[in-house]
Amino acid sequence: MNAVALELDGLAVDFSGFRAVDGVSMAVAHGELRVLLGANGAGKTTLMDLISGKTKSTEGRVYVHGRDVTNQREHKIARAGVGRKFQIPSVFSGLTVRQNLEVAQSGQPGVFANLKMRLDTEAQERLDETLDLIGLTDEAETEAGVLSHGQTQWLELGMLMIQNASVILLDEPTAGMTAGETAKTAEIINRLKGKHTLLVVEHDMAFVRDIAERITVLHLGKVLAEGNVAFIENHPDVKAAYLGKQGIS
Amino acid sequence: MKTLFSSYHVWAYLAFAIVILALPLIGDEFWLNRVAKYLCYGMLGAAVALTWGYAGILNLGQGLFFGIGAYAMAMSLKLKSYTSMQQGSETPVPDFMLWNAEPGAPTDLCCITPGSWLWIPFQSQWVGLIVAVVLPAVFAYIMGRIIFGQRISGVFVSIITLALVLLTRLIVTDAQPLTNGFNGLTDLGWFTVFGVELDPYSKVTYMVVAVALIIVLALTRMLVATRAGTILQATRDSDTRALYLGYDVPAYQSFFFAVSAGIAGLAGMLYVIVAEFASPSFLELSFSVTMVVWAAVGGRGSILGACIGAILINMLEARVSETESLVEAWKLIIGFVFVIVVIYLPKGLSGLAHDLMSKLQSAPKLSSVQKEEAHQ
Repeated sequence: MNAVALELDGLAVDFSGFRAVDGVSMAVAHGELRVLLGANGAGKTTLMDLISGKTKSTEGRVYVHGRDVTNQREHKIARAGVGRKFQIPSVFSGLTVRQNLEVAQSGQPGVFANLKMRLDTEAQERLDETLDLIGLTDEAETEAGVLSHGQTQWLELGMLMIQNASVILLDEPTAGMTAGETAKTAEIINRLKGKHTLLVVEHDMAFVRDIAERITVLHLGKVLAEGNVAFIENHPDVKAAYLGKQGIS
Repeated sequence: MKTLFSSYHVWAYLAFAIVILALPLIGDEFWLNRVAKYLCYGMLGAAVALTWGYAGILNLGQGLFFGIGAYAMAMSLKLKSYTSMQQGSETPVPDFMLWNAEPGAPTDLCCITPGSWLWIPFQSQWVGLIVAVVLPAVFAYIMGRIIFGQRISGVFVSIITLALVLLTRLIVTDAQPLTNGFNGLTDLGWFTVFGVELDPYSKVTYMVVAVALIIVLALTRMLVATRAGTILQATRDSDTRALYLGYDVPAYQSFFFAVSAGIAGLAGMLYVIVAEFASPSFLELSFSVTMVVWAAVGGRGSILGACIGAILINMLEARVSETESLVEAWKLIIGFVFVIVVIYLPKGLSGLAHDLMSKLQSAPKLSSVQKEEAHQ
């Protein structure tokens, strides 16, 4: 159970002189939920871009379950088991909620493997379960483009579940949510924990306390500290660099 | 709800099939020949809807694929024409090649004009038929792999396709000894199936085109209903999301781009059989843009809608062209229709039909709910 699901080894990217991520090494165990903290420009989103293949790294390696996926093309990394949720929710707006989840079931991603009409019963059941889990059963036949902001975020989470990604990257999953929506999101994320390995970028400290086990703090592209919530909250360097004199409110 | 929803689609396709199959009962051969041309345009409209509506790729050069299909078939039929046997050679040689030949060139396809050997395989009409469908598809697939592989999208794809069709037109008109340039290929022979010559002005030829259109529409509709079709629509809405789900997005785009090109090639090929000519005007920008208007008016989100849009607009155009004062105004009228549709009917006629059907279907449902309430 304690096998490492995601390992970064000295990962860095150099944007013509500016090192947005500068030698980050970390290991996230299977089933763990890791929160990435850091001020604006600390390199959190860039780190996710490097892991998922959106940006090519200039140094270091990325391993998913021991497999080297460094700088592979995005869909190859996705097939290796990395799922990603973007800061701005991105779903297929012209398709119904059900179709969105059907597409997310990407076990066989080839064109010719998909020249068939429907999913098998087992897959259908999983789809219904997921709909229930994200609370969108009633909206199954609704076009995703008309969902509320919160519902869109949950749909995207549902898509990651059904994609069966072993490592899930979440970039600010509660951005722009109401308190009620945030609570529900925390509930969904807590359910993902254990089965999936999660790496979450988040600013909302109340939410972080709800979900986090371990926190990694980034500062200017480097790892500043790593530990549990209490350790991070009392870490002097973190206070100075990120939280300011007031500490965590 | 889902079964009801899909069943009226099936009915729409069936109704369309019955109507076009029944037309020979009411019209004469001259009129049917004209309708057969519109059916070819309808097929072309469906091809545009497949890429534009389902893949979100606005191809402003669809005429390129139609043109390749048309020329491939026209080359075969030109060689079957009696005019190709009047050059004093044993084997057929197109008349225009003789006119364009250097003095002293042997009257044979091998070397009468530079590149005339390209015509040799087209002595078989089946080569013409296969090339008409396969060449556009293969060409589109390679184009797609290059364009979409570079993550080029949106208006840039339109500009590239537009440039390609104009470039091809330039080459075709310039290669006079090989293509008869501006004049195109005329005086064509007839396609022959099982000993039956497809006289363009016959009910048999009309039925061949009608059946081909029905088959293409049914297969295309089935294709977009597969999982692959849903995934294609997903790439239209968000290619990044699809990519991060593990789909090789350029592979999907290229595949459907190629299918659409193959359909356009088939349409061009059938058009030549009924219209008896192929001309560089198929490669003009205005023709490719016109196809987009057909699809927009009919509804690009629907294969059948775009097909019907193409047929209706062409029927209207034919009607208008009979009134002399309106001929000049036609471009204005069609432009005006396009603007109106874009503003008020973004989903075209099929979107309108869809909304009407949903209203009709929800009305009785509402009353049953009311009945239940009354019961309680």
